[in-house]
Amino acid sequence: MLNPRLLQTPRAHALILLAPALIVYTVFAIWPMINVIVLSVQRWDGLSDARTFVGLANYEHIFLRDPVYWVAFRNTILWTVLSVIFPPVIGLLLALGLNERLFGRGALRVVYYLPVIIAPIAVATMWRWMYDPFFGLFNQLLTNAGLEWLIRDWLGDRTIALYSVFVAYTWQSVGFSMVLFLAGLQSVDRSLVEAAHIDGANRWRVFRHVTLPALKPVLTIVLVLSIINSLKAFDIIYGMTQGGPAQSTQMLALWAFTQAMQIFDFGRGGAISVTLLVITLLIVVPYLRWTQREEGRP
Amino acid sequence: MATVEIADVRKSYGSVDVIHGISMAIEDGEFVILVGPSGCGKSTLLRMIAGLEEISGGRISIGDRVVNNLPPKDRDIAMVFQNYALYPQMTVAQNLGFSLEMAGLKKPQIRTKVEETAEILGLTPLLSRKPAQLSGGQRQRVAMGRAIVRDPAVFLFDEPLSNLDANLRVQMRAEIKALHRRLGSTIVYVTHDQIEAMTMADRIVVLRAGIIEQMGTPLELYDRPENMFVARFLGSPSMNFLKGTLAEGEEPALVLPGGDRIVLASRPEARGEIVLGVRPQEVTIDPVRGTPARIVVTEPTGADTHIVARVGDTDVTCVVQGRVEEGPDDIIPLSFAVPSAHYFDPETEQRIDAAGSVLELAARSQRAVQ
Repeated sequence: MLNPRLLQTPRAHALILLAPALIVYTVFAIWPMINVIVLSVQRWDGLSDARTFVGLANYEHIFLRDPVYWVAFRNTILWTVLSVIFPPVIGLLLALGLNERLFGRGALRVVYYLPVIIAPIAVATMWRWMYDPFFGLFNQLLTNAGLEWLIRDWLGDRTIALYSVFVAYTWQSVGFSMVLFLAGLQSVDRSLVEAAHIDGANRWRVFRHVTLPALKPVLTIVLVLSIINSLKAFDIIYGMTQGGPAQSTQMLALWAFTQAMQIFDFGRGGAISVTLLVITLLIVVPYLRWTQREEGRP
Repeated sequence: MATVEIADVRKSYGSVDVIHGISMAIEDGEFVILVGPSGCGKSTLLRMIAGLEEISGGRISIGDRVVNNLPPKDRDIAMVFQNYALYPQMTVAQNLGFSLEMAGLKKPQIRTKVEETAEILGLTPLLSRKPAQLSGGQRQRVAMGRAIVRDPAVFLFDEPLSNLDANLRVQMRAEIKALHRRLGSTIVYVTHDQIEAMTMADRIVVLRAGIIEQMGTPLELYDRPENMFVARFLGSPSMNFLKGTLAEGEEPALVLPGGDRIVLASRPEARGEIVLGVRPQEVTIDPVRGTPARIVVTEPTGADTHIVARVGDTDVTCVVQGRVEEGPDDIIPLSFAVPSAHYFDPETEQRIDAAGSVLELAARSQRAVQ
């Protein structure tokens, strides 16, 4: 018999409040994760009843015989490194600028944040148009400025396509870190800034010794989210290049999707997904543990 | 060490004037306390001396330099903030040494100076801790150490004790006073706490709504407040005020609107309506000269008892030694007939002298015209 008084304890309250989220999380996150791991050791075309166990054959294939996997791997790492550097740095600079008393500050904040709320697929379409080699905005502007020698086939040239897509991604994601940094800047103690001025610190020293330490928690959040978001980069690339030309913008998430949903090899797609999961956990878990230790420290 | 001269300093935010031309001279080594209610401009004035607020008009000099347009770091001042403003990620030693590092001193020099300062303030065992690991009083001491270590010409304190609990505040008051004696430095100190002002200052400046109400030593202000505002502001409990009409006749007396008659010890140089001001400690229970008053409440504090009683339609406070047997609604005779009673003009709230000379009368009427 369930003792009704048990329901009155704070622990029971916590469980009741957590239960719906836990159920949703299990059904839509944990279960698919397990399913993907199971899929990765099977052969399945997604339609037939036959799901045969093949051991590590899928892994063997993607690691040893699939040249695209390693291109996608390299691109994903490069993309992640770029996304940890550029969007947060630009976001921080924008936040610092828009934290000053400035004419039209509110409007500018909206302008820089707006791309975040646009669907990535729409962003991809817009930028694909702007990158169009013949009718696109960028090459038109370069022509008008007399800089014809700079004209490129931005998405068609395999040496620059990845960077072109990344610029679009930066444009879209900068507002996100900006808003987090702006919130963080509110927590900077004004009198600490003044104390530093009296102590003889210049603008850079004030930033280095007052602003930056106060932003540390926000910085952690921004970096972790940037890593996670960039490792699973998919929709903007899918919308702009679909991984081309010549796989030069192929990503692990996109390649897993292509294997499963277009080539109908769910086993290999699953194996690729699992490697991506492992990479993500390898980067994020130690980082989170480290920052938690740092924050626990007084 | 240096003098500070403030000449007709003004401050306005847009069209709102918050400081209306303040002038004062602070001597070398003097401990001056700016005191007043919130919004009186005392912190703004301090921040203008520090260089944290722009000066809208007038001139501020430290030593023989006009500092109006100098940035804070070039003014040779140090400031102690209300919330301490310690750098949270730095140790106590790093906090103390930060300004020296910014000034480009060498590491060994910084260490010597930091250790000296820590010694003065008893911070030596805490040097490697971070601010979060310190108590309120210790943080306060680090904040003062950060000021001392620079050996500035002028120390500025912005309500430094208001975040401490009552006991610690009493202790830090004594420490700051001792520190001032030891360093002999010029200090400008802002507080809204009149007890801090009375106990620590060489000179108090009472501010209200951006003007100086009165300036002088603590006892000058206590004994001879220039107006009702200063009289009310200094002293605890606050001074009692009774408004009434001066009685014509041999014996000086005040007749309250309700008809009660209050015997006075001196005759103010005025006619008609005046305000009588008597400190609660000077009100006595006197069956001969007292005016009947109905007790509202008694507050025993241990050593003495505060009696709040109603005379006419005014509540007055009376501090009597020891305990009292009477309670609420009992009638007691309260006497205000003391030579130290103060008289004020009910219109201008300015002081009226008791044994006024012709000259003072003339000065007063001139003030009234202004």
